[in-house]
Amino acid sequence: MSFELASLLVTLFVLAGIGTPIGYSILLASVVYLGLSGLDVALAGEKILQGFYGSAILLAVPLFIVAANIMNAGSITDRLLNFCVAIVGRFKGGMGHVNVVASLIFSGMSGSAVADAAGIGKIIISMMTRSGKYSRGYAAAITAASATIGPIIPPSIPMVLYALVSNASIGSLFLAGILPGLIMGAVLMAMNGYLAHKRGFEVEETVPLKELPRVTANAFPALLMPVILLYGIYGGVTTPTEAAAVAAFYALMLAALFYRSLSFKALYQVFVDSARSSAAVGIVIGGAFILNFIVITEQIPQSISGALEGADISPLMFLIMVNALILLLGCVLDATTIILVIVPLFIPTCEALGIDLVHFGVLVVVNSMIGLITPPYGILLFVINAVTDIPLREIIAEIWAFLAVLIGALIVMMLSPDLVLWLPRLLGYQG
Amino acid sequence: MKSLFRWVSRISDAIAATLLAAIFFIFLLQIGSRYSPKIIGYFGWAETFPALGTIQPLGWTLELIAILWVWVIFFSCAFVVREYDHVKFDIIYLAVSRRMRRIFAVISAVAIAAGMLYAFLPTWDYIDWMKIRKTSTVRNPFAGGKIPMRTIFSVYGAFMIVVAARYIWLAIDTIRNGPPKTELEIVLEAEAAAEAEKST
Repeated sequence: MSFELASLLVTLFVLAGIGTPIGYSILLASVVYLGLSGLDVALAGEKILQGFYGSAILLAVPLFIVAANIMNAGSITDRLLNFCVAIVGRFKGGMGHVNVVASLIFSGMSGSAVADAAGIGKIIISMMTRSGKYSRGYAAAITAASATIGPIIPPSIPMVLYALVSNASIGSLFLAGILPGLIMGAVLMAMNGYLAHKRGFEVEETVPLKELPRVTANAFPALLMPVILLYGIYGGVTTPTEAAAVAAFYALMLAALFYRSLSFKALYQVFVDSARSSAAVGIVIGGAFILNFIVITEQIPQSISGALEGADISPLMFLIMVNALILLLGCVLDATTIILVIVPLFIPTCEALGIDLVHFGVLVVVNSMIGLITPPYGILLFVINAVTDIPLREIIAEIWAFLAVLIGALIVMMLSPDLVLWLPRLLGYQG
Repeated sequence: MKSLFRWVSRISDAIAATLLAAIFFIFLLQIGSRYSPKIIGYFGWAETFPALGTIQPLGWTLELIAILWVWVIFFSCAFVVREYDHVKFDIIYLAVSRRMRRIFAVISAVAIAAGMLYAFLPTWDYIDWMKIRKTSTVRNPFAGGKIPMRTIFSVYGAFMIVVAARYIWLAIDTIRNGPPKTELEIVLEAEAAAEAEKST
């Protein structure tokens, strides 16, 4: 390792470690690197500006954030929740199922785990604990666990970020996420059903069947959103980025005209909040552009793949190692940082070992989401603890069962690329 | 002084929201302009309304969106993003005492300000040099000429200066009044305020 690279890493770790914003830490560390290498420090700004100017695909990020914020502000979220209660609330462990199904339909795309947990998460937890049918810890644990599904099912910001660093097809990544997302939902619901039977949770008051058509009709237009998104991309109607704009437009039309639940003032606030979230993610992406340049200059991926080639590692062994590493890192870093900063180091090795980049992308995203709920750190656990006052100890005591089935699902996905790639291949993905 | 800050923040919120809304609507315009000739052709409206026949897919939208995107990010990071909105690794920061937090916060703020100022002049040289390159499709709506990249990238220079100033201010404020609030503290305070409002 060169001295310049070492000083980059030291600066980065020290600054990020004491709580400097990650984006600025990377920027400063790269300025230190450039200065010591005798290169022009303007390269940092140049790489960032050219990077943003040249990657149109990234625009999906702010547009998805706008779409999600409109859905929240325009009561679309509430309608979806009522729909879930009517459909799966009748079964044993009902509200637990509602929790999972709501996450499947309404992907947490607002870009802030805090916002999601403080919003929809808090509503569901209070619905679960109000009647005294579920313990506080259980309600919080299943909420945290099901929140990990959101970013697997499209639309998904982590997938867009992965597409940026890997050049994998964003359309294929979105498609590849659907089945794994459903599998994760299924295992969580199975575990919830099992625990509900074992502990004898009482059944909710069922919504009468004759109410069902009304509730469904009320939520139906909102349920069409993922369909429109996927049709736009795979029908060749729009590019993935344009599809994000169409999704946001659709949400806007629904909220403003169809449900009439979005005021102009609320819409203005949606744009302010979205600009703020986009910029906060944007500065980390900017850091990734310059870091990427340095990683290539220092030929780090080559030395990683060189070292692995010497060790004669099979693709499966490599996947297990990378997944274990990301799972560990996921306990301390958030998904954005892992995908933009750590994952690019492994992409060339993946290619050399013949691992499909779409398959790898799904694993990485699922993995970093599971990291969000892994004790002792898991950001989602903290957030739920903070907004609901449920003690961390109670949440952690209940999270293990859900964590175990999610990791089980991850292992299945890792061992069977054909399962993950089935849907993209069906629609013409060559790989 | 306080009310001045509030006005600056209000106006910059409005600018950031407008930039983002503009991106959104230009995207829609781009999709619309691509499909409307087909739709018009399909229904044969061009014969009845010749004006409709002249609609062509727009070429300048993508570049304008890219320009606005660069502006949204750096303008918002300079003026709109609050300290606790940033993506951070805060395990250690949250685990240490308030006194340590104050030291950490001052070190971060001084480092950011110093780094930005150190890199400013060379970076400005680069931005200034970019005046020789111009946008390829977007034109200045008033003068009609193509826009030099310097104008577009200058937002990054402004971003560096404003961020440096903000963090110098934050360092001074931290030394005087203690470390900035964390996101959780803000969320909890907002909740407590909402509760208090409900009970009254």
